[in-house]
Amino acid sequence: MHPEVAAYVLGVLDDDETERFERHLDGCADCRREIQELQEVPLALDELKQQSSRVDD
Amino acid sequence: MCAVLAHSKDDEQRIALLYQQFGGPLLRHVRRSTGNDLQWAEDVVQETIVRAWRNSARLHWEPGLLWAWLLTVARRIVIDGRRRRSARPTEVEPPEADTISVPDGADRTLSAIVVADALGHLSDEHREVIEQTYLRDRTISEAAEILGIPPGTVKSRLYYAIRALRELLREKGAAG
Repeated sequence: MHPEVAAYVLGVLDDDETERFERHLDGCADCRREIQELQEVPLALDELKQQSSRVDD
Repeated sequence: MCAVLAHSKDDEQRIALLYQQFGGPLLRHVRRSTGNDLQWAEDVVQETIVRAWRNSARLHWEPGLLWAWLLTVARRIVIDGRRRRSARPTEVEPPEADTISVPDGADRTLSAIVVADALGHLSDEHREVIEQTYLRDRTISEAAEILGIPPGTVKSRLYYAIRALRELLREKGAAG
């Protein structure tokens, strides 16, 4: 289990960590599967962001 | 777009194909996280497709993973964009936590209520780490500093928080 997978899916890793994790992904089928499983969580959280992100110009 | 040596016909076709396949669905999802700002959402989709094309070595991934990867890339672009916007001095303050977790009035959608409710069922530690990262557009390192805990702890806490939230959403039938 690689806990970074959640941070990766949420897009909250730093750029260099993201790059490192993507290299890891190429060789890790477990993480590749988990990314697909966890995807629905940020999509659900976006329902809340939609309500609160009206920080318009 | 940065200086790319003359696209071949293949490249152009590849980009067109990515747009055709993913452009529409991607735009629908991205609009949600840009607060329905269509122009911004379209820019994000374009940037995402370009990044996908630059990473075409990865595109041999299974289709479900490619879709997940595109969503993840788009999410990062939105987060970066919002951070840049809120870093501008004339910008208003980002919303406080309670306005994030409790959408109000006619704007409430059923799913937003369900998600807010599921968040409310998480342990304080789990809810906090989700609020301090994704919901506030902060990276792990930034959240770690604010929470006063090591980045590695934020990462693992976030992992269990997201897993727990997924279970709750599944119980409520709010997630596929």
